[in-house]
Amino acid sequence: MFDAFGSSALLHQAITLLCFIIFGVALFGVLVKKNLFNIFLAFSIAEAALFLFFIGNHYAAQLQAPILFEGLSRFDPAVMVDPLPQAMILTTIVIGIAVLALALTFVIRYYKLTGHMRIDEMDELGEDR
Amino acid sequence: MNLKRTLALSHLLTGLLVSVMIIALLGTLRLLTPPIDTIGETLLHINAQSTQVANAVTSVVTYFRGLDTLGEVSILFLSIFGVALHMQHSTRNLFGAHDTLLQIGAQVLFPLIVLFGVYIITHGHLSPGGGFQGGVIIASAFVLRFLAYGDHYEPSARLLTLSESLSGAGLVLLGVLGLLLGDRIFAQILSLGTMGTLLSGGVIELVYLFVGLKVAAEMTLLSQHFIKARDV
Repeated sequence: MFDAFGSSALLHQAITLLCFIIFGVALFGVLVKKNLFNIFLAFSIAEAALFLFFIGNHYAAQLQAPILFEGLSRFDPAVMVDPLPQAMILTTIVIGIAVLALALTFVIRYYKLTGHMRIDEMDELGEDR
Repeated sequence: MNLKRTLALSHLLTGLLVSVMIIALLGTLRLLTPPIDTIGETLLHINAQSTQVANAVTSVVTYFRGLDTLGEVSILFLSIFGVALHMQHSTRNLFGAHDTLLQIGAQVLFPLIVLFGVYIITHGHLSPGGGFQGGVIIASAFVLRFLAYGDHYEPSARLLTLSESLSGAGLVLLGVLGLLLGDRIFAQILSLGTMGTLLSGGVIELVYLFVGLKVAAEMTLLSQHFIKARDV
């Protein structure tokens, strides 16, 4: 699918640009949105941008997944991608889900306590608006 | 602090942040070079003789970085613990659809989805997949039941708690056994077998089996807490 890119440097630059755009969308959401749910959704979009960045930058054209199946008989770094970033991103995805669930629970608790979940209406600490 | 000054300050900070990120992006684009001689290459080289596992990502997750996976599973457990503490439970299902067609479809599909999840877990060392992916697939079967049966369905709390705690204890036990019998935590204490067969990899398949059970139980509990939350 990515063979049209030819050189992997060009591919990596394209992936970096794309991830920067997605991260910018997420940053916009975090800074501009007022609803707490939307803010945590934007955080999870930023996570997705980071996952794409890590996985994409360790892929090069014509490389296979690091799994032995028909056609591959031994582990060779010349034809296989690096397994370490994939394993680390697998860990990060699970931790991201756990943290997102806990954050949404706190949002629901906050909504039950106050009746709203907009950050510009928060005045629990008694600051003047 | 008046509104105008706060607005100007936040705009200034945003502009500063964006410019720093653009500078970092330009630097990254310029400095991109193919990595040479990474840890992953070494792991690929020693994978064949030290684990006999056809999927190198699985051997990295469960064997070379087994302690990491234990920490990850405990983070997941702590998060579910926090969710269970803070969500008020009720018997009313917020998302239940009382649809006969969906109920019959759930009856047919539930065992098939669970079987597929078990397949993904047990073949995690031969093909793409593993404990986390298979566990989430099994949890999705329970979510389908929640959607189909509405208020009338409640998974057995004893079964969920038992499978979660037993698999967590089994995971810690495997780590400690590796520490006692082998040279490090999650060391290889079983026979390796031959690469490509179902019983290859020794301790790796057991680790993924425990992780899959634990993730399935925890994700089911998590979705139950959100689906059966008390009305706000």
